[in-house]
Amino acid sequence: MRMSRRAQRMDRKHKRGKTVLGINLVSLMDIFTILVFFLLVNSSDGEILPSHKSVTLPESVSEEQPRQTVVIMINPESVMIYGEVIASVQSILQEAGTTSPSLQAALMKELDHARAKQHGAVPVRMEATIMGDREIPYQLLKKVMATVTVAGYQRVSLAVLQKPLEGI
Amino acid sequence: MRRRLNRRRLNEQPTDINITAFMNLMVILVPFLLITAVFSRITVLELNLPAAAAQEQNIQQPKFDLEIIVRDAGIEVGDRNGGLMKRFPLTAAGYDFEQLSQLLQQIKARFPDKLDATLLLEADINYDTLVQVMDRVRVARVVVTGSVQSAELFPEISIGDAPAGVKVASK
Repeated sequence: MRMSRRAQRMDRKHKRGKTVLGINLVSLMDIFTILVFFLLVNSSDGEILPSHKSVTLPESVSEEQPRQTVVIMINPESVMIYGEVIASVQSILQEAGTTSPSLQAALMKELDHARAKQHGAVPVRMEATIMGDREIPYQLLKKVMATVTVAGYQRVSLAVLQKPLEGI
Repeated sequence: MRRRLNRRRLNEQPTDINITAFMNLMVILVPFLLITAVFSRITVLELNLPAAAAQEQNIQQPKFDLEIIVRDAGIEVGDRNGGLMKRFPLTAAGYDFEQLSQLLQQIKARFPDKLDATLLLEADINYDTLVQVMDRVRVARVVVTGSVQSAELFPEISIGDAPAGVKVASK
């Protein structure tokens, strides 16, 4: 039976509508593309220093990038090297003298490790980075720094969280 | 003629680019990058460390040695040879970093070539205060034509113990 012109027209329109139907992904794609580029740019500088939940770093406007060094972490309970507990804060503060022998032994072991791994005549410039919790007292920091110096390290850096210049 | 052309255009299916592969890539890449993204950047503060043996050598030269002493009761700024210059007592809101920064800028204006300073602390000053004071000694925030910039003050900082007893004498 021959359809009326109107029925034909409606039929055609109906078919066309059905085939085009789909989820509109354009805006999703836009977001993803922008997000991917943003994150790619943002994550270009790899994280060198490990972070630890128990250590809240102080904030500073410093812009100096951290280097690959020996990392000493100090939280209110213990002193760690590469996340491995060396001694408790209590025992370090109770040790007589300006340095801590237990920490010094551990630091010198790290130094020997670095010397053994090194090849060629260039002497290793030994550096240490101290990641201290913001609540630790100066006397503890001083003792750790004195120990680091006595153990033969030439340079000490303090790790901080970067904050904008408006903060000071 | 015109009518037929029109109809052909209407019948044409809009061709879609096949974006399934691209979408798959994005769906994997976005969560991966979100997890690895670092939102808090860690930087370092350099310290001037004397070698353990050569500690007491360069004291003889009679020149200006800037000393910032952080005590429980406040901050003192002075010259190692000339004595105390100014005290900033502890305020209700903690240490008076604003005043300290201003004084250090005045000192920098008088001695433009000076780059080193000594920070002396009492035993139970916490690490956060140390870093805050170091920040103020290293750089100052200045506003130049409406934009905030940093001015270098005394970036070569040495750290030491605060001398005892001065607290009572200066009161």
